[in-house]
Amino acid sequence: MKINIAKYYPLIPVYAVYLTMFLVGFFVPGLWQLVALLAFYCALGQSWNIFMGMTGYVDFGYVTFIALGTYGMALGITYFSQFPGLGIAIIFIGLLLALFLSTLSAILEAGIALRLRGAYFAIACIGINEGLRHLIEGAKIWGGSEGMLYWKELTEVFGTETAIQLTTLWADIAVFIIAAMAAFINVYYMRSKIGYALTAIREDEDAAKVMGIDTTKYKTIAFLTSGWLGALVGAMAWGLKLTHVFPADVFVIHYTVECIVIVVLGGIGTLLGPLVGGLIYGLSKYWLAIILPGFQLLIFAPIIICIIIAFPEGVIGVVKRRVKGTRLERYII
Amino acid sequence: MALLRLENITKRFGGLVAVNDVSLEIEAGESIGIVGPNGSGKTTLYNVISGVYPPEQGRIFFEGKDITNLPAHRRAPMGIGRTFQIPRPFSSASVRENVAVGAMFGTLSGKVSVDECSEIAEHYIELVGLQAHKDKDSGTLTPVEKKLMEIARALAMKPKLLLMDEAMAGMHPRDIDDMVKFLKKIKEDEDITIVSMVEHIMRAVAGFAERVMVMYRGAKLIDAPTAKALSDPRVIDVYLGRPTGEGEDAEG
Amino acid sequence: MILELLAGNLIHGLLLGCVYGLSTMGLSLIFGVLKVINVGHGPFIMVGAFVTLAMVTIFGTAPPVAIPAALVVGMALGFAFFYTVMRRLIKAPEFTTLLVTFAIGILLQEVVKFTFGAEYRGYNWEVGKIILTITTIPMTKVYASIGSIIIALLLYLWFNKTRIGTAVRAVVEDSEGARVCGVNVDRIYALSFAIAIGLTVMSGVFLTMFIPVGINPYMGGVYTLKAFVIAVLGGLTSPYGAFFAGLIFGLIENGAYVLFAQIPGVAPFSLTVSLAFWMLFLLLLIKPTGLLGAK
Ligand SMILES: Nc1ncnc2c1ncn2[C@@H]1O[C@H](COP(=O)(O)OP(=O)(O)O)[C@@H](O)[C@H]1O
Ligand SMILES: [Mg+2]
Repeated sequence: MKINIAKYYPLIPVYAVYLTMFLVGFFVPGLWQLVALLAFYCALGQSWNIFMGMTGYVDFGYVTFIALGTYGMALGITYFSQFPGLGIAIIFIGLLLALFLSTLSAILEAGIALRLRGAYFAIACIGINEGLRHLIEGAKIWGGSEGMLYWKELTEVFGTETAIQLTTLWADIAVFIIAAMAAFINVYYMRSKIGYALTAIREDEDAAKVMGIDTTKYKTIAFLTSGWLGALVGAMAWGLKLTHVFPADVFVIHYTVECIVIVVLGGIGTLLGPLVGGLIYGLSKYWLAIILPGFQLLIFAPIIICIIIAFPEGVIGVVKRRVKGTRLERYII
Repeated sequence: MALLRLENITKRFGGLVAVNDVSLEIEAGESIGIVGPNGSGKTTLYNVISGVYPPEQGRIFFEGKDITNLPAHRRAPMGIGRTFQIPRPFSSASVRENVAVGAMFGTLSGKVSVDECSEIAEHYIELVGLQAHKDKDSGTLTPVEKKLMEIARALAMKPKLLLMDEAMAGMHPRDIDDMVKFLKKIKEDEDITIVSMVEHIMRAVAGFAERVMVMYRGAKLIDAPTAKALSDPRVIDVYLGRPTGEGEDAEG
Repeated sequence: MILELLAGNLIHGLLLGCVYGLSTMGLSLIFGVLKVINVGHGPFIMVGAFVTLAMVTIFGTAPPVAIPAALVVGMALGFAFFYTVMRRLIKAPEFTTLLVTFAIGILLQEVVKFTFGAEYRGYNWEVGKIILTITTIPMTKVYASIGSIIIALLLYLWFNKTRIGTAVRAVVEDSEGARVCGVNVDRIYALSFAIAIGLTVMSGVFLTMFIPVGINPYMGGVYTLKAFVIAVLGGLTSPYGAFFAGLIFGLIENGAYVLFAQIPGVAPFSLTVSLAFWMLFLLLLIKPTGLLGAK
């Protein structure tokens, strides 16, 4: 099979931005935390966009995946630290557990929620998120509401020095890698049969079925991919970086809403959108927290309402229309 | 063996019997017109054939296989293609992408690459005369262009049976003649069976179909060779209300 | 012993269920008319709680007196948000309405936080109690339930006996059809939205009569989620369905709590909440249009 490189040109601006972010964070003292935060938002936006952007379904319970990813890492470190000699492998076990848990919940959701449309789908997803959270708290699974703390285990396996390295540097680098992966998968899907199927589903699901598209299959593919990436982000940005997890902190719908805001600001369904949206959102949130601490949400809420009403296609949506027919067109999708 | 065989199909919506005990056999290579006044159940019959919803009663066989309970997305790859009475383009996608979807998931599903589908799409876009619009978002087309695009999309599926739902409504009489010629040619070239459904546009039915089924209030009223069916006094009574509508069109 | 406990709790559940029912009617009305899920539903309940708090602490009135004030505040907010925001989103894609209603909820929370502060508050209002052998019921709860029933009945009368109520029902059924029949659909949208928000804010008043502590700007979230469960149970578009579903939900919630409390080593309260959501999930699986839904 011949690979048409030109199809992947849109990745160039995306990777250029990620690389710049990384270099700035790495070499400019004091900026790493900010860059890591931005990368976190971009990675989430990019991952979430694969499902919502391409199918038009609004998974309000997306944070479930991030939360379960966090738990996967927590379980990996907590339980497998007891086996001596595993070393760095426990991190990978954590990632595998993150994928495993998110797959379970994706199957549950895909089996039930993806049959539903519109309002019912959004509500079902919220229901699963809350149901899981309170089940963990109520049945005292994985420490219940007291959560899990595993900094001690981490230092026992790696020593304090390496543990600090892992949590303050490598966890963030991993988020960059996940973001880059998500961007690649996004383009790959867009350029393949999957992308065509998902576009058809987004525009007219019943017509898509009649055209021969197995809508459940393609929705599930997008859902799983998006969920896996979210779980990986959770495992790294929360699980490994924070070395603790509490159900009341991770199963929080606010994070889903942040994802939506990022994607919508940047341009829903576009490749560059989540990146641009993540940068805008992350930077303005960071900046507002400095100049007007405590007022961020009060200011954000009305701004978001206005932006959505005025520019529902987002930054890249507008740019895309502008560059249509120019040479830039092939780089911006 | 008939290409499509409907046995006693009944479809209800609540108390309303939209399709009432309709049986029909279509042989490969036939061109058939289904006519009938608005609300007589033609679109519903198409929906049942293409799998939008199951019938309450009756069975559907395609190439001898019972497809009554097969989901819609499994029927298209078997060779059932269709257009919609009210066009349903995938609006945000370009014309080329829309038609490529047809190629990708129709009978060629799994046999062609995305790039090949694009080429196939180009071919059919040209056949229906939309090459000037191929990169436009399909949502921005005029209603008639949308209908043409749907024909291209359905043809790109390389169907064995093509169901067209009032594809010519809204067209100029001259364009209808062109379309009839085009469909006849396509039918020869591509070896497909075309069921064209046309309502009110007798010019198209008479010019295209070899056989006509007349539906009335959900039931099959007449099923006969075109000339015979159209001269049947019952048709004039129930369906037209006037002798022969020339080039008139109406959106149902 | 446990049966007594259960019976006692079910009585409380039934009373609370009335308030739950009222608190969900607005959500269903908005979905029915505008086809929008108000993800910022709970914060409007919170507004009702603060209206009550303000009336009680500033003007020294009894909590039920806050009802007219809550209706006025609610309808004013409803009209304001409708004409500034919701009107522009009637046919918009889902993510915009979800996001915008969520943002409205956050806006309410933050405004209340900056006006009243973020700490937990409460008030004290005692008007006697009914003592039964199995349980003791404060009269405030009884008043709250009766008040909820009266408002639900008034809504019922308005829906069925007035011209404009009939028009609202027509819009719920088929907005295009109603428009063709000469109904001023846009006005119905605005009015229904305002009434729905008014109902929700009023339910906040009754809720504080039930649980007069824990009033704070972020109390609404949990009620948004409960209202979702109840609304789906009630068929999502039907305010009365929602009311009866609220009763069922109150019963299940309080009954399940007693049963879960018998299991050693679990947190019964969380399990009860969890149960509610699994119920929702199963319900959507079996009958997406709701148990009490029409079709
Ligand atoms: N999805 C539906 N729900 C309810 N009634 C329907 C539906 N689709 C069609 N009908 C009704 O079924 C009858 C047949 O409609 P249709 O098949 O569209 O007729 P035609 O295509 O011949 O004009 C009409 O009375 C129509 O109102
Ligand atoms: Mg029709």
